Amino acid sequence: MKKTEAESYSERISLPEFSLWERMKEKRNLVSFDLEITARCNNNCRHCYINLPQEDKAAQQRELSAGQINKIADEAVSLGAFWCLISGGEPLLRKDFFEIYLGLKKRGLLVSVFTNAGLITDKHIRLFKSYPPRDIEVSVYGVTKETYERVSRKPGSFNHFIRGLNLLLDSGIRVRLKAMALRSNVGELPEIARFCRQKTKDYFRFDPFLHLRFDRDTRRNAEIKSERLSDQEITAIERADSQRLGVLRDRCDKLIMPQREHSSCGHLFHCGAGQGSFTVSYDGLFRLCSSLWQEDCIYDLKKGSLGEAWDDFVPRVRQRHSDNREFLEKCQNCPIINLCLWCPAHSHLESGRLDEPVDYFCKVAHSRKDMLA
Amino acid sequence: MEKKVSLKSIYVPSGDVVAREVQGEFIIIPVASGITEEEDEIFSLNETGKAVWERLDGGKTLQDVISGLCVEFEAAPEEIKEDVLGLSKELLKRRMLVEKDRS
Repeated sequence: MKKTEAESYSERISLPEFSLWERMKEKRNLVSFDLEITARCNNNCRHCYINLPQEDKAAQQRELSAGQINKIADEAVSLGAFWCLISGGEPLLRKDFFEIYLGLKKRGLLVSVFTNAGLITDKHIRLFKSYPPRDIEVSVYGVTKETYERVSRKPGSFNHFIRGLNLLLDSGIRVRLKAMALRSNVGELPEIARFCRQKTKDYFRFDPFLHLRFDRDTRRNAEIKSERLSDQEITAIERADSQRLGVLRDRCDKLIMPQREHSSCGHLFHCGAGQGSFTVSYDGLFRLCSSLWQEDCIYDLKKGSLGEAWDDFVPRVRQRHSDNREFLEKCQNCPIINLCLWCPAHSHLESGRLDEPVDYFCKVAHSRKDMLA
Repeated sequence: MEKKVSLKSIYVPSGDVVAREVQGEFIIIPVASGITEEEDEIFSLNETGKAVWERLDGGKTLQDVISGLCVEFEAAPEEIKEDVLGLSKELLKRRMLVEKDRS
């Protein structure tokens, strides 16, 4: 028997530096998965791609039980998963949230939670203090009642958000903050960024890319489109954020790739969907990523196993090709595709097809390229 | 005060951690708070650590573990004893192992 270190048999490893992340990228390995444990939400945000009303009984009845979630988690762990994100809807709406959260933790998973913080109570704080999450990511829709509730469309939600966020921060639980940049809050974005950076030393990110709805609800999709910022507005806020602009400039050689112009591959999926992670909807639908809702790319876990979905179904989906000439000429070889929101999943949400160019995405990508030039 | 490790005691993995093999690496993931000194940390056990951990099944004293390892591994008993005691001390200090209550 030999010790690999002079004096220690165990080694402390900081998670961000864990070599496993790099090794897992070398080939297709399951690292993480997202569980949308409910589609319901206590808010009614204008830009949200998933939220159903809190009191939607039909949606509630379709939600996976804690037992079904545990079964999925067991299979995911046996496939090597290491990290799980609990999201929604608003996950804290689930009365069995504690059971679900602890079930995942006790299976040896790192657990992150996405929440709007409005439902955080002392009981949640005790849970997170005793059994720490990897992080809690809280969405910040505004830093004034007027702006926040213009987005959330729920009277009183701003006070609940502030109370919940302060409970989390005061207890020392690791919190990350993020903001969606949309028409209803763009005027307050600098204040939102300042607020977030004051509240936590951890990273803050904002996202100006609003996805369309998973259920393709036409009325809600029209609302989302009306909340989208123009290409010029998006580049203006990116340019104004030195941190974000710095990251984009540092990664410029990966974001703009002239050699793609010579690619002749017709495969649709060049992204990481289904390579190291997957997403499960509130009602047990397995997808390669949270945005991919095309019916042939969905596997119902209530009728099959996660092993089959991961080992057989995903590689089949990733083999899909396109013969749409417009897409192949315009997008498939586009050297700035990495600056673009375009992907097969978003193409489907926008057009109903996995291989349609989307003018809005194209405009934004070209403006971003000009910004980086 | 540092806890003394006894060869006659039975030690078991604490319920506050979960041990898993991920991509060929044997890691211990804290479930409860207070195991790690810093946030965002896990532990990796080397081959010796893994061999010992897997034998801490609640039915063996440390002396039994050492005897079993002596049969399986071609190493001097004194070296194995030193390894097992060293690791147990380290894991007890980190609350990853607890002494089994035999009452």
